[in-house]
Amino acid sequence: MKITISLRGTLPNQLDGIKERVVEVPDHCTCDEALKSIGMDYTKMKRFGFVAINGKRVMIHDRLGEGDELKAYSSISGG
Amino acid sequence: MKRLKFSKEKCIGCQLCAQVCSGMKEGAYIPSKARIDIETYYDNGNLKYKDSYCILCGICAKACPVQCITLGEYLTVDWSRCIGCGTCQAKCPKKVIKIIDEKAYICDTCQGNPTCVQICPQHALTFE
Amino acid sequence: MTMLGYKNCVLRVDLTMKGATMEPLRMDWAEKYIGSKGLAIKYLYEELKPGIDALGPENKLMFTNGPFTGTPVPCSGKLSVAAKSPATGTINDCSIGGHAGIQIKYAGYDAIIFEGKLKEPGYVLIEDGKVAFKDASDLWGLGSHEAEKILADRYGHDYSVLSIGPAGENLVTMSCINSDYYRQAGRGGIGAVMGSKNLKAIVVRGTGGVEVPNIVEATKRIIEIMQQDVLQEDNTFVFDYGTTAFLEACNDGGILPVNNFQDATDERWVEYNGDVLLQGKKGKRGCGSCGLGCGNFLQIGDAICEGPEYESIAVAGPNAGVRDPEAIVKFNQVADNMGLDTISAGDVIIWAMEMTEKGIHDFGIRFGEADKMIQYLELMAKREGVGADLALGVKACAAKYGGEDFAMHVKGLEYPQYEPRGSWGMSLAYAVSDRGACHMRAYAPNVEVFAAAVPPYTAEGKGQMVYELAESNAVKFSLCICDFWGTLNYETMAELLTIVTGKTWTVEEMGEVGRRVINVARAFNQREGFNRKDDTMPKRLAKEALKSGAAAGQSIPQEAFEDMLDQYYDVLGWDRNGMMPDEMICQL
Repeated sequence: MKITISLRGTLPNQLDGIKERVVEVPDHCTCDEALKSIGMDYTKMKRFGFVAINGKRVMIHDRLGEGDELKAYSSISGG
Repeated sequence: MKRLKFSKEKCIGCQLCAQVCSGMKEGAYIPSKARIDIETYYDNGNLKYKDSYCILCGICAKACPVQCITLGEYLTVDWSRCIGCGTCQAKCPKKVIKIIDEKAYICDTCQGNPTCVQICPQHALTFE
Repeated sequence: MTMLGYKNCVLRVDLTMKGATMEPLRMDWAEKYIGSKGLAIKYLYEELKPGIDALGPENKLMFTNGPFTGTPVPCSGKLSVAAKSPATGTINDCSIGGHAGIQIKYAGYDAIIFEGKLKEPGYVLIEDGKVAFKDASDLWGLGSHEAEKILADRYGHDYSVLSIGPAGENLVTMSCINSDYYRQAGRGGIGAVMGSKNLKAIVVRGTGGVEVPNIVEATKRIIEIMQQDVLQEDNTFVFDYGTTAFLEACNDGGILPVNNFQDATDERWVEYNGDVLLQGKKGKRGCGSCGLGCGNFLQIGDAICEGPEYESIAVAGPNAGVRDPEAIVKFNQVADNMGLDTISAGDVIIWAMEMTEKGIHDFGIRFGEADKMIQYLELMAKREGVGADLALGVKACAAKYGGEDFAMHVKGLEYPQYEPRGSWGMSLAYAVSDRGACHMRAYAPNVEVFAAAVPPYTAEGKGQMVYELAESNAVKFSLCICDFWGTLNYETMAELLTIVTGKTWTVEEMGEVGRRVINVARAFNQREGFNRKDDTMPKRLAKEALKSGAAAGQSIPQEAFEDMLDQYYDVLGWDRNGMMPDEMICQL
């Protein structure tokens, strides 16, 4: 299935500078698996934040559907 | 010859330049004795800049009545000959020279490696 | 021992007698509380009699900086302002940016304590060792910005001004102190304490300096820390976007409040996001000694401000049913000039909007009425018309008119703009904060919402989590360092403190200071009669589930909240009534 991955904060610069991309991922894969498919492992990233599907924060192991927008944020500090 | 350059659109008015300048030269963080004075302030709804820093124009050296200032790669003041007359201060186009206890305080670009440039967090100050 | 970095001098100003004296800093307290937040609370704990009227002459208004102030230690240009709060009756320390803290240090003081009350409105002029009492009859009644402009014209831009607006003069318990026009000590009615002393402004200029051991080596190391730690991408987002960067994340996180906390996501967030607001950017300005420069000086239409900060955008935007960027900036500008805290003033107005819409009481204002919201600020600052009621704050208004379930406050301090049903730990952080609902004491969303694998909707582990956040902020703010240096850890704190003071500090001591500061603040409040019954959350959070967004369906069961409180008290060694045992108080 096709999904859009958007990277926020410092994440694009930690990968390849690209903020938004459409990628082909296995059906119903998790956010974690989708991010790994573009070379991003949250457990190994410097200050990884959180993920959201279609503008709603989810847990990293929640599953994606066809056409979803997966957003990944770097960590946020301050308030 | 390398000189200090200042781009005001990058300056955030932190005054770290004057703090480290005085720290390296005066043994205390005391901007009132620093050889640079860059700051920003609000005035009538506008953000204004004060940018006193040495541009190595050499006017002070030419004006000095006792020839105690020499301009090479940077400015040096021979305090044993300086009489604190204030001529250099009056002529300085950037208004950066101070006379303290009858001696002229003039930037020597930390002898070619200015500390103010090293700390400037937004690269408003450069040395080129 | 006397530590370097400090001036070892406290200026005590007696406003009643118009006299000033200097005394050595209690260095034994500085060794336990460092400076700024911690030191101010310790002084006030020792000096204020329990039960005093926060707006009476026996309250003291204290300004404290820290050992880093005036040095190039990055992000150290803040100033703590503390007093007993007239809004809550608790201790209240605020943090203000700009340059005033550094001027006070260069003038020769670690702290200034204002006592008593001027007979007539006045301002105090401090020029190094000289203190003068000036008449302020020409300034009284003016907006904070207007008063600052007159004083800046009178004394020049080398002076810093701290001033109050009409709200502070009229003892409105949500009034702030302004400096550098756009920086505020905002919360808990600190401006009303200044107003209660008839003190319109403080004008200060310092020409002295700060000494540290081995200054050349210290400077070199500070430059390394600036370049390697402070100026990382993790922190520099604040230069590009300021706190507007939080809008999208809070919306996606399900914690962006809408219509007085009735919901927590707004699909129209793009209409007032940073990208829109920053189109009006006219310049950048940071505080003294800052590396990051969060201040975006901007103009949209006729409205000008520095910021606006996330808190002000959220309260004057989605939480008020408003999406117009110019109205948001105007709200911020007028609140600053009137000397009102945007958070508390905004919260009481949006509560009034809901009261009107629900037909409980007609305050004459409904969600989305941006122009009226701005007019209400002026009415509140001057206590005129409907503003006379609203100026009392949401707790007192709800006691008078009803609507207590959705009166969003803790201990009488109105809620910041992070919705706890999407971040359960935040309900605990607001409840146990030393001054009522404050988001700066422990910022829970950082670890439970803006994190990939932490569940936000559970009480489990939240006591420890909130404690750790609170400990870290308590020591950071006692060092007088800005929250935006987000990567700052205890190792770097201890190293910098060692470099600057000449006394060796350890990582363990940083945590101990943090715990001690939390405890001394609690001891102050406990002495005023506060305990578990006051560590509350608004009923709405338990009774109503969120309707949309990431946290749709979430409410916080009262048992879960009580469980979090138990956990937090246990971590601190307080009893289940939230009381600190006597032997802990003795050690403070």
